[in-house]
This record gives sequence, structure tokens and C-alpha cells, in this order.
Amino acid sequence: MTTRVKHNGLIDCDVHPVLSDFNELVPYLDESIQQYMNIGKFAKGALAKQNSGSFKFPSSAYANPLPVPLRADAFPPNGDIPGSDPAFLASDLLDRCQTDFAILNIGHGTMSAFHNVEVAAKYTSAANDWLYGKWVKSDPRYRMTMEITPLDPAQAVQEIERIGKRPEIVGINMHCVNIPLGKRHYWPIYEIAEAYDLPIVLHPDTEGTGEYAASFGVGPASTYMEWHTSLGLIGQRNVISLVCEGVFERFPNLKVNFIEYGFSWIAPTMWRMDKNWKALRHEVPWVKMLPSEYIRRNIRFGTQPIEEPARPKDLVELIQMIGAEHMLLFCSDYPHWDGDELERAFLHFPGELRHKVFYENPLASFRIQP
Amino acid sequence: MSAQEKHRLVVCSAEELREGDRRLIELDGVEIGLLRAEGTCYAFRNSCPHQGVPMLYGSVVGTMLPSQPQEYVYGLHNEIIRCPLHGWEFSLKTGKAMFSPAVSIKMYEVKEEGDEVVLYLDRQPQSITRKQFACVL
Ligand code: FES
Repeated sequence: MTTRVKHNGLIDCDVHPVLSDFNELVPYLDESIQQYMNIGKFAKGALAKQNSGSFKFPSSAYANPLPVPLRADAFPPNGDIPGSDPAFLASDLLDRCQTDFAILNIGHGTMSAFHNVEVAAKYTSAANDWLYGKWVKSDPRYRMTMEITPLDPAQAVQEIERIGKRPEIVGINMHCVNIPLGKRHYWPIYEIAEAYDLPIVLHPDTEGTGEYAASFGVGPASTYMEWHTSLGLIGQRNVISLVCEGVFERFPNLKVNFIEYGFSWIAPTMWRMDKNWKALRHEVPWVKMLPSEYIRRNIRFGTQPIEEPARPKDLVELIQMIGAEHMLLFCSDYPHWDGDELERAFLHFPGELRHKVFYENPLASFRIQP
Repeated sequence: MSAQEKHRLVVCSAEELREGDRRLIELDGVEIGLLRAEGTCYAFRNSCPHQGVPMLYGSVVGTMLPSQPQEYVYGLHNEIIRCPLHGWEFSLKTGKAMFSPAVSIKMYEVKEEGDEVVLYLDRQPQSITRKQFACVL
């Protein structure tokens, strides 16, 4: 497949490398955690099939119902799963799209909502080291976000101190737990993120997995479709929390990039927040500008999965209507089933807007040194 | 225009506008609300710039001043009137909304002179109606 859309630079803000097997982590993982996870020499064999017989990774309760829940055109030649081979991904995605930089957000890299925080923290460090060692070092176009443990801000700060200055690390992938993003709980993380010029990235992963997972506002979804569509509610709730708690007054240079939560919902969220603030500002007196002004200044959104109104131009008009041209970040979400193809998803975007979304906005929103 | 050049209109006696009292007057079809808070008389157009409800039903309050995140600082005690519908806050001193100086209620010059509460107007009104007004506040 050749690229039909001409571009003057492309930064893909959401590409997912995955582990073929948890045993890939063995070289990076303390023995105690290998033992806890029953990997390496601690494999439990048949007992793995017993209920509670061995460690279970906190995977999603919502199974994707498609026959192949990843891009079926992205299996590497060795037959392993899509996203598991750095060289194949580089040719299948980056060469094809002429991508300048791909930001790797690890797939199933997180145990952020897992009940045992110490295990989660060690796992997270190992996943970071694996991503850095196996992937980032394999191709100069790869960059990565680092995972942290949002339930333990002190540990998260240590992890950022450990590796956060590496130039290939361009953001902090925090993940969502059942503590809204604006709470003071997270402020030590925001402080170091701002100091290191690293954006906080929020990407769905924990929703519907571990015991500390965020709720969907009302109650459990019944289906994957219901779950997937409801992710925007979590994005919305966290935007509201960040602004109302005064995070962007305290950390005016902090960027928070919401990847894969959709973005068109931000228009009514802005309108409603601005309206409420005019009446209720005395409850949040540290909010000194219209909430929409903080959102425009500090929050960014991944484009994928792009909303598809019946009249495609409606989406462009909505972006123009709320002045969001500088807020959108191109994401392919390769190799996931709901990814967006460069040459078709942005067909109706004017050229200047496309260039912003493809290159300028990501460059300004992640710590990327070209 | 200085106070001398303005039209002087006695609204009521000082006795008729005691602490916490409210009065309503209509001049050429425009309603003006008066009240006294912390000893000072205020007069303002009786219509909220947002959706037009009568401001004279509004609560006179203090508010939280702009502050550092997660910190509450109370101030402007009884210098704010809150719209009775959505609660927008306006300074009784300036008429400006707390959320933006670009939004305001029109304030009128009002003075207590001897035993009289006096409005100073840009021009002489053709019709003057003192209206009945009562609210629970
Ligand atoms: S009508 Fe006064 S604030 Fe809405």
C-alpha cells in the first residue's frame, strides 16, 4: 500500500508494541516478582488452568468480539501477534506512512489498577526497560512513553527520576484508576512531569481491568461496544476534575494528552463548564479563567478513534468552532482493530489543519527532539 | 457628568431603607432596585444581564476570593449580590461580575443625604412609579 496523502512530517502519537509472552520480561524483572507472576523458572504449568491456581494478569473484562481483535493485515512474517516485532512494525507502518517518529505506548504494559501495588510497580519498571531495550533502541524513529504506578505517587516519582531524562522518553503514560486526575494525590507526579517537560498521557488500558479501575459513571457495561463507547465519559470526567481542582493553575506548563478517548465531546464539556463556572466559581476560586481556556492551553487529544459524523465536514467545523486546531494529535493506534488510516481518516481536513495534527501539535505536546 | 449636573430624585426616607431593606422604583419603564447593606445604600438596574430576572431578589453575600489552588479565602463580605436565578456574583461597589469585568449590572449613583435616599440620574425621568416589593431575604 502506498501513501496517497502528502505530508510534510508525521508523528504518530499512539503505536502499540506488545509482549509476545510475559517471559520476555524475565531479564528485566526481579526474581520475587517472577515468582509472584509464575514466569521464568517459576512457571506453574497445569495449575495455570485452575481458578486461582496461578497469577492472572489483570486483563480486560470486555472481550473484543471480532474474529481477529487486532489488525489482521499486521501479523509479522514469523506468525507472532501484531505489534510484537519491532522490525516488521517499522516497515509495515513507519515506512509505509513515512512516519518521522512513532510514540510507543506499551500494550498490556500496565498493572496500574492491580490490587498489589508493589508487584505493579516492579512490573511497570520491567515493562519500561523491556520497551526501551527491545524497541526504542531498534529504530531511530521510535520514541516511548514511560509507564508509572498512579496508585503510588512516591514510587512513580522515583521511576521518573530513574529514566525520565532519557531523550527517547517523550511522555508519562499514567493510566486511569478510580482517583480522578485532578486530585492532590497526583500532584507530586505533575510536579516532576512539569519540571522534566514530559506530558502526562492518559490512554485506556485499566478501564474494566484491575480492582482499582475507574467506574463508567453509572455501572458496568454489558458489552465491548458499550465499554468502548463509554471511554469518552472517563476522559470527560478527568478533564473536569483537572480543571476544577486547579491543576493548571498550580502547574501552568503541564500538558495532559488524552489518547483514545475521542475528542468531539470536549465541545459541550467546555460550554457546560464555562457556564457553570460563571455561577459557581466561588466553590473553585483558584480557577481564574474560563475552564475552556485551561482546556485549550493544557489539554490535548489523540485523534483516534476519529469520530465519523454522517457529514464528514461537521467534524472539521466542530474543531474550528471551539478553536481546537492546536489540540489534536495524530494517532494511528496500530495495530489495534479501531485504528485510523492516514490517507482516509483526514480526507476532509484542510491542508493546514492536517499538518498541525500530523506534526506541529505532537511536536509541541511531547518532549520530542527531532 | 458631575452630581451637580445630574437630576436629583428622592426615592424614600432613610427610615424606609434600613439595613437589609429593599425598595423598587420604575423610571420611564426601567426598574431600579435599591437596598442597604452594611450601612451603605446601593441602586442597580433590576435586571440580570444574563437572562433578565429581577436582581432585587438576589442574596447579598461575601464570596471566595481568587486564591491559590486548594485554598479558600473569604472576603468582600456583603459587597456581592448574587442573581436569584443562576447565582452570578456582581460587586455592589462596581456592578462588575466576579467572573469577568466585561459583564456587569448597571449601578446608579445613590446617596443618603440627611433623612433622604437620593438617586442621581443622567436625565429627568418622565414617569416615576414607586412599586410594592417584598421578598423573604
Ligand atoms: S439570570 Fe442572572 S445569572 Fe442567570
